[in-house]
Amino acid sequence: MKNRARKETSELSRRDFIKTSAALGAAAWATGTSRMYAAGSDKIRVGLIGCGGRGTHDTGNCLNAAENVELVAMGDLFKDRLDSSRARLSKSAAGKVKVTDETCFVGWDAHKKVLALPNVDLVVLTTAPHFRPIHFKAAVEAGKHVFMEKPVAVDPVGVRSVIESSALAETKNLTILAGTQMRRIAHLMAGIERIHNGDIGEIVGGQCVRIGDGMTTWGPRERQAGWTDMEWQLRRWLFMTWLSGDFITEMHVHNLDIIDWAMGSHPVQCMGMGGRQVRTGAEFGDAYDHFTVEYEYPNGVRVEYMGAQIDRVSDRCDQWIVGTKGRAYLDFANAIIEGDKPFKYDGQAWNPEIRQHADQIAAIREGKKLNEGKRVAESTLTCIMGRMSAYTGRAMKWDWAMNASKLDLRPPKYEFGDLPMPPVAMPGQTQLI
Amino acid sequence: MKTKASRETPNLSRRDFVRASAALGAAAWASGASRIYAAGSDKIRIGVIGCGGRGTYDTTNCLNAAQNVELVAMGDLFGDRLDRCRKQLTKELGQKVKVTDETCFTGWDAHKKVLACELDLVILTEPPQFRPSHLRAAIEAGKHVFAEKPVAVDPVGVRSVIETSALADQKNLTIVAGTQSRRLAHLIEGMKRIHNGDIGQIVGGQCVRIGGGMLTWSEETKVRQPAWSDMEWQLRRWLFLTWLSGDFITEMHIHNLDKMNWAMDAHPVQCVGLGGRQVRTGPEYGDVYDHFAVEYEYPNGVRVEYMGAQMDKVTDRQDGRVVGTKGRAYTDSGNFVIEGDKPFKYDGPSPSPVIKQHADQIAAIRNGERLNEGKRVAESTLTCIMGRMSAYTGRAMKWDWAMNASKLDLSPAKYEFGDLPPRPVAMPGQTPLI
Repeated sequence: MKNRARKETSELSRRDFIKTSAALGAAAWATGTSRMYAAGSDKIRVGLIGCGGRGTHDTGNCLNAAENVELVAMGDLFKDRLDSSRARLSKSAAGKVKVTDETCFVGWDAHKKVLALPNVDLVVLTTAPHFRPIHFKAAVEAGKHVFMEKPVAVDPVGVRSVIESSALAETKNLTILAGTQMRRIAHLMAGIERIHNGDIGEIVGGQCVRIGDGMTTWGPRERQAGWTDMEWQLRRWLFMTWLSGDFITEMHVHNLDIIDWAMGSHPVQCMGMGGRQVRTGAEFGDAYDHFTVEYEYPNGVRVEYMGAQIDRVSDRCDQWIVGTKGRAYLDFANAIIEGDKPFKYDGQAWNPEIRQHADQIAAIREGKKLNEGKRVAESTLTCIMGRMSAYTGRAMKWDWAMNASKLDLRPPKYEFGDLPMPPVAMPGQTQLI
Repeated sequence: MKTKASRETPNLSRRDFVRASAALGAAAWASGASRIYAAGSDKIRIGVIGCGGRGTYDTTNCLNAAQNVELVAMGDLFGDRLDRCRKQLTKELGQKVKVTDETCFTGWDAHKKVLACELDLVILTEPPQFRPSHLRAAIEAGKHVFAEKPVAVDPVGVRSVIETSALADQKNLTIVAGTQSRRLAHLIEGMKRIHNGDIGQIVGGQCVRIGGGMLTWSEETKVRQPAWSDMEWQLRRWLFLTWLSGDFITEMHIHNLDKMNWAMDAHPVQCVGLGGRQVRTGPEYGDVYDHFAVEYEYPNGVRVEYMGAQMDKVTDRQDGRVVGTKGRAYTDSGNFVIEGDKPFKYDGPSPSPVIKQHADQIAAIRNGERLNEGKRVAESTLTCIMGRMSAYTGRAMKWDWAMNASKLDLSPAKYEFGDLPPRPVAMPGQTPLI
């Protein structure tokens, strides 16, 4: 499947290009792109910002998604992470990794140095989500196309910034792609298309459940003697709400994004609960290990989310959309509709993680509009508002979270040094900001 | 409203009795009641076992629900609780309280002594842990029973209650459960419409009760007194000990989950729960959680989500909703509203259900009618218990397993004042499913 996706794009020949550009029509070209690419052949030069596991994975996929894509620069806060990523990519995408010591940057301003390179066309943003709004803004201002991993913020201030930067990208004809890869899974595309066509009637409810895997073996468990508070928290970023947004945001955005997609809308309000029952050690920062959120979508349609990262429990990862004429079951491998118009996807599958990069590279080369910034920002806020409600015990409206919340989890300074661990949230005590 | 309900039954005159008994037909009488009551006049003698706040409240309502009802015996584990209850009942109900020092019993066998007295009906209002054994003893002793909810804290107790309820049927004894919402006029009317198909086929629902951390409950026992053994300390803080209360999902939110079972006209077939103890973490709060969320699946794959929390200073919620293919029904503390093809809003009278439940039982006793809510309340109790068990262990579970196979039995090794180490707070993924 992976091969098929690769072929699709790499076989976009010059003749295909002429057809495609004709189909696009004059209007698309009149607006112009910041840089003109010849079809399927012009080199796309990629910079990677955030050289962790995900950054390495995404960059490998990006380099392999089309011909003539090269990695020319890398940036990370930590040299050890950058070095290991560079070594791995040099193997998995041999010949496509053109970085030199001079185009590898570490430290707090590594992203600026990558973005300052004029030959970088596209950046892959895979730092901890906390940094996404800042790096995204800098990338768009620098005129780069952006692939950014989900989630794209950890607080409403960040979400607003991402939406602004996405609008700016639009004016600069830059493509913005989000790592919410489920949007490109064949079976979900087919199933949700049927939901939108009314195959289950009017939607009246739904459930989104993802339970299992405590992630307790993730990352460095022991704090090393030389690490400051800041370094310790950064290296354990997954479990620091200010860095990851907590798991409801960091990981379960995949699931809640499916719900937003199926509903064709973001929620209008929510009420959440949660806690930290099992994963309570200091090495797990201030993140919760379970959440439940009742999301209310337009027309009073309620979707309940249950999420947990706890080991040795009954594993679940599924979505239900309930309609007046049937219901749809959606998970990462299946799309099944029961009811008046039954359906079971048994068509082709392809690798969405390759496809997302192939789509973006094709869009760049063809000068097509492709901007998922606002959409992924909304899915991110869907998660964030659920977390905020659970942390504080307060119901909240989307409009308030989007427009009025002042929650900003940025630390006073970005520098290695003292940084007390924020207290674990206590519903009824933690302030709603 | 209270006065209305209390008038209803006393007015049941001898003539009404003749009509009522004619309506019941020969069959009802052929089976016979354990004792035949003349209509509306024969004395009903009651005993109360469990003289806490709820016992005092229920006994008051029972004595006020009809004429010629008298309290003749009382029992509690603790003398101070019994004395306080007796004093308050005597003050408020005067002549209806006929207990003497000789019919007031304390200690572990107080319930046996109450049941040995000449009485017709017992009110069981001890902590839920004791309900199965006291209910069994009461039915075996041939007494009618008013049993507060919940009626058990574990599946072993639920099974016992169901067996005892069957025995009560054989002995023509009435059992009324304190799931008072079943007698709320707006719910009765609304549920009828749901069952009539006014919202179409049911496809989902929500049950939410959030708020009220109960932190000020029993302030006098918050600090453990030096003389109290482990057992006494836990009994006096019973609300927060799972082995005694079943945790709040069972102890209090059974009201809400019972409504869902009622609306669905079924118990769930399976569930998966989450929960924890995030805010109410002091030792005075025992081992209970402060929040739960359970996805209940009813027949035909219909899912109902429950969210419950006992926390202070959060957004208060208490509402239930049932979603159908042609509309949806919403209820909170005082409303019942249907939106959709057949809109409805209840605006009739709302007599007090806490009086009515006793009036209904007294009338049934006097009329020799069958009235046995034991199995139903046992099923609502298990609905809550299985949600708690799933949240505590992190394991999804089926009703049939919980009902038939679970061996969970929270009773202590011995019922005696002495050492009783606090049980560990449940940890999903670590606490075994039993």
